[in-house]
Amino acid sequence: MQAFQQYVSCPHLRELVVEATLALARLDAERLEELALSCRALNRDLAGLSEAESAERNRQAREASGQMAVFGRVLDATRANLEVMDRLSERRGRREYTSSRAAISAGPWALAEKNHGHD
Amino acid sequence: MGTISSAFHLISGALNADQSALSIIANNVANANTPGYTEETPNWRENDPVSINGVTYGAGVSQDGASSVRDRVLTQRLNQQQQMAAASSSRLAALNAIQALFTPDSGSDAARAGDIGSDITSFFNSFATLEANPTNNALRQQVLSTATTLAGDISNAAASLNQQRAALDQEAAGIIGQVNALSAAIAKLNGQIQSISPNGDAGVLEDQRQLDLSKLSQLIGINQITTENNGLSITTTSGQTLVSENSNYPITTGLVNGLTHFFIGTADVTSQLTSGGGALGGYLTARDQDIPQAMDSLDQLAFGISTQVNAMNNAGTGYDGTQGTGTDASGTVGNGTVPLYIFREPAQVAGSAALMSVAMTDPDKIAAAGFGQGAGSNGNAVNLAGLLNGPLFRPLATSNFSLTQHLNSAAASVTSKIQVYDASGKNYTATLTFTNQGGNTWDYAISLNDPAVSATNATGQLQFDANGNLVAPAANVNGIAFSGFSNGAGPMTLTWGLYDAAGKGLITQTSAPSAQLAQSQDGSGLSNNRSPVNFFSNFVTMLGARVAEVQTENTAENASVTQLQNQNNALSAVNLNNEAVAMQQLERSYQAASKVFAILNTIMASALNLGVQTSVS
Repeated sequence: MQAFQQYVSCPHLRELVVEATLALARLDAERLEELALSCRALNRDLAGLSEAESAERNRQAREASGQMAVFGRVLDATRANLEVMDRLSERRGRREYTSSRAAISAGPWALAEKNHGHD
Repeated sequence: MGTISSAFHLISGALNADQSALSIIANNVANANTPGYTEETPNWRENDPVSINGVTYGAGVSQDGASSVRDRVLTQRLNQQQQMAAASSSRLAALNAIQALFTPDSGSDAARAGDIGSDITSFFNSFATLEANPTNNALRQQVLSTATTLAGDISNAAASLNQQRAALDQEAAGIIGQVNALSAAIAKLNGQIQSISPNGDAGVLEDQRQLDLSKLSQLIGINQITTENNGLSITTTSGQTLVSENSNYPITTGLVNGLTHFFIGTADVTSQLTSGGGALGGYLTARDQDIPQAMDSLDQLAFGISTQVNAMNNAGTGYDGTQGTGTDASGTVGNGTVPLYIFREPAQVAGSAALMSVAMTDPDKIAAAGFGQGAGSNGNAVNLAGLLNGPLFRPLATSNFSLTQHLNSAAASVTSKIQVYDASGKNYTATLTFTNQGGNTWDYAISLNDPAVSATNATGQLQFDANGNLVAPAANVNGIAFSGFSNGAGPMTLTWGLYDAAGKGLITQTSAPSAQLAQSQDGSGLSNNRSPVNFFSNFVTMLGARVAEVQTENTAENASVTQLQNQNNALSAVNLNNEAVAMQQLERSYQAASKVFAILNTIMASALNLGVQTSVS
């Protein structure tokens, strides 16, 4: 019960997703790293929820699903931007770091990103 | 002599090169504020070596022009982001206008759509008030007054939505002139660039081409394809050619069902442009998706309230003793000759909101009493007031049906029946008559129990093999259409599913007795499980959620454009450290965001599939 109380006293999932999306748009790495830690703690607190608590979590998840799709799109767009910049750096011989990014994808949240041309 | 001459040449060449470079730098400074201008750097070329007394010396450098500091990979990516941001910006503007329409108390005198929720409550509460004193003429007038307010606000909202749609249509049509002008300019620049600078950067001409491409990207979604000799082809994101070398292919417009459609050649590319991005994509998404969805919700609301209130009032008795023509809950049919409708009775959902109005002028026709009750009774008023909390009627026309039917090969004919629904939710019996033609062949004919309807493609032939399996038609039958319904409902177009998912025929023929083993259809006259107020509230909530989603997306896309523009600017900066820091910030943000996304994805997947345990630590 204590875990659930912490959960419901936290910002709702939707707000969390929106904040992460905006932080990514701003390239606010510090805030994103804080959010990653918060999400990790939140995920731990969710273990062993009662039926009622699970129903509340389900409601919040449904409420946040649209924003999650947007977050996925921004994440995909950022990865595409990174790839472009990587290729650009290589071509200009200015690459000064090594990329080790994980292969995260928007997956089921991804809205169809239809507008990609030849990049 | 040769020695001195060579040495002098070497020195003077270097001086000339320096002077040219200075000119290029001066040009950069002079054009610092020119939109689209790209910084140029001098092209240094090593001269041929000089041989003096058998010893070869380097011949210094000379400057043979300038190259602009640009990267097409980056600018194309920037253009893509710009077209996505432009699409969400124009769509967001349209959605905000729709949302403003449904904000309570914010409407103009012409349209108070925001008050629809309270209008609904007031209207049904007027019946509750009438219950207490059914003979009171003022209370009867109040019912008609609140009905007029409700119908007026709904129809005005529909009119406003139609006006917004027309405005978006004009905006979209207006963009095409700019698109065609830009594609013509780019085609002309292509020709100039290919002629003047086929093997290198074309400097100012390339700047102009990039600027035009950037403008074009903000208008519509495009792909860029580099061709030989520094040429460029441009297509829409769905592949239609806009520019090829020095030729451009203009987009033309024409009206289809009252809306502007877009053509390249004879191909209608409207739907492709809608999903393609750019401001045009945003306008078309709002015109063809967002506003029709909002209108559909309003239509459902208007249809449900009108038909349910009319049906209930028509199943009662007015203060003047006149009965309606309907049937009450006990099955009693009224003896009236004219329906007692409060609202104009809609024939189908589509268009109901725009046409919603109060048809009743005599308050004595409000049927507060039930059949067989005295004029001062209130039995039916109770029922009418109860509609406030009852589910809103939501018809769904049948579009697919199937029968699992066995035909006796010895029978001359077989009939089989199935219930189907028109667009108003009225149900009909569809009769399928199978006539044995011998040779494993049966004719079929489909009819409805409404003598007014005319049918199209409702007859045909079934062919079975020697084992009684259906072999023809080889696929489901599409386009079986009925129109001209006596209640004014729109056409019903059906697909007859002759085969199951495994491809097995659902109609069979053997010597066994004929029988209908199963049937299915997808229409209904059922409710949507929401009361009128909840339905409207849900519509407004969903609209708000969509606005918020597009707003977030637009904010993120614009931020992404800004990032890319900064990266593009950094391309010509000499401070490599800044560029590296920017790249590291981009990388670090992506990594952190990926972690957030992965954890949230796990949490939400777990929540949406209750019982699945989370695993990310």
